[in-house]
Amino acid sequence: MSSRLVVGILSALLAPLNRGAPPLPPRPGALTPHDSALHALNRLAYGPRPGEADRVATTGVMRWIDRQLDPAHIDDAALSARERQIGVLSYDRTALARIYYAAQRERRERMRAGADSMGGQINPGPGQRLGRRLAGDLASLVVVRATLSERQLAEVMADFWANHFNVFFGKGADRFLLPEYIEHTIRPYALGRFADLLRGTAQSPAMLVYLDNWQSVAPRSGTARALKPRGINENYARELLELHTLGVDGGYTQQDVIGVARIFTGWSIQRPQKGGAFRFYGRAHDRGEKIVMGVRYPAGGGMDEGFRLLDWLAENPVTMRHVSHQLCARFVSDQPPDGCVDDAVAAWQRTHGDIREVLRAIFHGPDFWAAENVLAKVKSPLEFVVSAVRALGAGPDTTARLAQVVARLGQPLYLHVAPDGYPEKQSDWVNSGALLNRMNAGIALAAATLPGVTVNLDLAVPATPNLEQLLATVDDRVLGGAMTANTRRVILEQLHALDDPVQARALAVGLALGGPEFQRQ
Amino acid sequence: MTISRRVFVKSGGLAMVSLGLDPLFLARAAFAATRLGAHASTGPVLVCLFQRGAVDGLNMIVPHGDRIYYDERPRIAIPARDVVNLDGYFGLHPSLAALKPLWDNKSLAIIHAAGSPDSTRSHFDAQDYMESGTPGRKATPDGWLNRYCEHDRDHLATPFRAVAFGPRLPRILAGTAPSLAIQDLQAFGLRAPEPARDRLTGAFEQLYAGAATGLLASSSQEAFEAIQLLKRVNPTQYQPAGGAVYPRGRLGTAMLQIAQLLKANVGLRVAFAEVAGWDTHVNQGASDGQLAARLADLGQALAAFAQDLGDGMRDVVVLTMSEFGRTIRENGSRGTDHGHATAMMALGGPVNGGKVLGRWPGLDPAQRFEGRDVAVTTDFRDLFGEVLASHMRATDLSAIFPGFTPDPRRFPGVVTV
Repeated sequence: MSSRLVVGILSALLAPLNRGAPPLPPRPGALTPHDSALHALNRLAYGPRPGEADRVATTGVMRWIDRQLDPAHIDDAALSARERQIGVLSYDRTALARIYYAAQRERRERMRAGADSMGGQINPGPGQRLGRRLAGDLASLVVVRATLSERQLAEVMADFWANHFNVFFGKGADRFLLPEYIEHTIRPYALGRFADLLRGTAQSPAMLVYLDNWQSVAPRSGTARALKPRGINENYARELLELHTLGVDGGYTQQDVIGVARIFTGWSIQRPQKGGAFRFYGRAHDRGEKIVMGVRYPAGGGMDEGFRLLDWLAENPVTMRHVSHQLCARFVSDQPPDGCVDDAVAAWQRTHGDIREVLRAIFHGPDFWAAENVLAKVKSPLEFVVSAVRALGAGPDTTARLAQVVARLGQPLYLHVAPDGYPEKQSDWVNSGALLNRMNAGIALAAATLPGVTVNLDLAVPATPNLEQLLATVDDRVLGGAMTANTRRVILEQLHALDDPVQARALAVGLALGGPEFQRQ
Repeated sequence: MTISRRVFVKSGGLAMVSLGLDPLFLARAAFAATRLGAHASTGPVLVCLFQRGAVDGLNMIVPHGDRIYYDERPRIAIPARDVVNLDGYFGLHPSLAALKPLWDNKSLAIIHAAGSPDSTRSHFDAQDYMESGTPGRKATPDGWLNRYCEHDRDHLATPFRAVAFGPRLPRILAGTAPSLAIQDLQAFGLRAPEPARDRLTGAFEQLYAGAATGLLASSSQEAFEAIQLLKRVNPTQYQPAGGAVYPRGRLGTAMLQIAQLLKANVGLRVAFAEVAGWDTHVNQGASDGQLAARLADLGQALAAFAQDLGDGMRDVVVLTMSEFGRTIRENGSRGTDHGHATAMMALGGPVNGGKVLGRWPGLDPAQRFEGRDVAVTTDFRDLFGEVLASHMRATDLSAIFPGFTPDPRRFPGVVTV
């Protein structure tokens, strides 16, 4: 290697050191109304749209929060119109099952005919293409709703629960069961009662397939179903305790897991080819007595003992604490202070798990507004992409390509394989490759070359030859006033080399979106 | 979080602080010296290659000396005359002929009847278990390769220590130890034509150096270091050595780029590549056909990699793996369904090659798993664990495979000691 290169690498490595320690983010004692509005828009929403922070500050941030907690009274007509154009919403589970199995048949026939050894991966048939389009719809719905909905908190919570009760789209019949799961099991209860979510997911074909409970039968129950199940399957039972309710240190034993699995024997689905609706098969159900964490379920309890167990779990203080902790990690800080978790648990106890009231307690608590928790969380890829699109007043186009951008940044929607869902901690999202991808996405979005989005920068950041003014607008619109002196200086330096105001604007916005301030919320 | 440990490892110890010099400066200088010195070229390397979709171990490594194999597969068995014989009983699928010289020079070993103790026949679950390293336990948050990196005591501070070739970090490398997912070395970094790219890279580097804190700061710094290192690698100009020709396609490209990183001495220790298309339920073919085409790609990619690295294979072990095997009996569609054990391959200088390792349970119905599949006689954790302990110098396997008690007596003997 040439010595010049060595020197070059060394000086590149050492260069940052000469500038001294990085400045700490501003830590005002109390937030201004504008900063409070920004903070609320960063956490309860997918970031502010142009001018929105001012509007929320004028309304009063607590009033805005109360409105967000009551989404039924927020008009969302523009989004509804947009949703009607998305194909997958017009098919029910049975229709989707038909499409799925037709595509599978098509794939097999093409392989058998020897026409296509890769089963249509390279040259898909019409049925396969439809299947793929509907799968793309599901992911793009997330991005479209997160970007356009006025009911922002409801969207954030739909994402939270879809993640808490994660189902992997790629597991067998879940390819056609997931739309119903999201639309009917999760979304209507996003700000509802936890017990309803728990009962709903326990009976959902999507979860029963994902965690194998549909194959769980009492030993020697004598059913001769297609897949010849051999006894109980503990998957759902274990994840119900470990992830959905009590948490990994929730105090249960392997014997408790087995007890739960026995309680849910027979909770299954109709043949997937017929649509796979929920069914309770009494013949497959273990009729014996069970004891779970000291609670006795007498012999012959049937399906009701499952509901009894779910309601007991929903009202269990260990569950309250586990789920409240997750909510606080989402809204307050990756490592939430005990105080806000306590507040959430108290509200849960008082209201029997009314999530709206649990959230209200969190948003009214001092920890939510504490200076050290403002801009303390790193955005997930979904939050990064959607907040960038919103900051520019842009919108997703009618393809699934913006959802694919989110996937390339590391968060393919509904494709998290493990039942724990996508992580909430920054350590899981921040790595070198991921940051480079975000920088590239920021530059591309500002240059209007990011796939899947229509952007007109004139709305948010008008072009101007006055660089000071340009930077002030970028700071206000993109960074919410958080631009550091260093960022200002670096961007200005870059802009001096350009004389075209349109190019200068694209570069300034791109650097701001890909830079460090915008990664935080 | 591991930031403090990472900083500690990077700084190579905190002793320098006591000298009264700026520790960060010294740490940086020491780090740069380590990275650019000869140290990077020595040290063990593990390349894991995942065959997603459950490869048919019996048509990959063919028990051509067994009557039952031919009885059970009247339409898809590999005729004995086509099999590349290894030891009189087993042989390679003809599409893997490129690997025969590696068997002959004792750098290729086969581990047959390997797999998971868990009985699932779900691709999703079985891949998950093989990558998390905890069969039967789904909530394990990280992968065993990442846990190895986390517990590895003498690793180098380089952004290229653990690299997965693919669109995102696979489960096997998920976790707290920094690892990189690269789709294509040529596209790593800021996407812009030169000289704009250099300017843009410099601008972002300054933005992050000046305003990022915590993990954003350290990760961005790793990113820009990686870009600097890659400039030296110059991926667009790579010429494989020894006349090696990699097959076209994703696997060939991944193996080529792994070889490239190894030769560039950027400190690569753990690499991961994957190749799909093994789920041959229908018309899987015999000596020719669907599976034969996939195997030809695999065999050529591995042979080219060995040829390209030449003496460099001294420190390298390539390990193939697949979530499970396929049924002994062919199905009604000239294919095979989900089974249990499969065959895995180990390739490289440290490999105890020229042997089929592991206890072969046989194809006799009485020996089968659930009456239909090849039984697992080598738990994949014993195979992976041996490679980590004997080759990669892992000291604590129980931290890498929680809930599992590794026992050297169960190791298949894949690494020469």
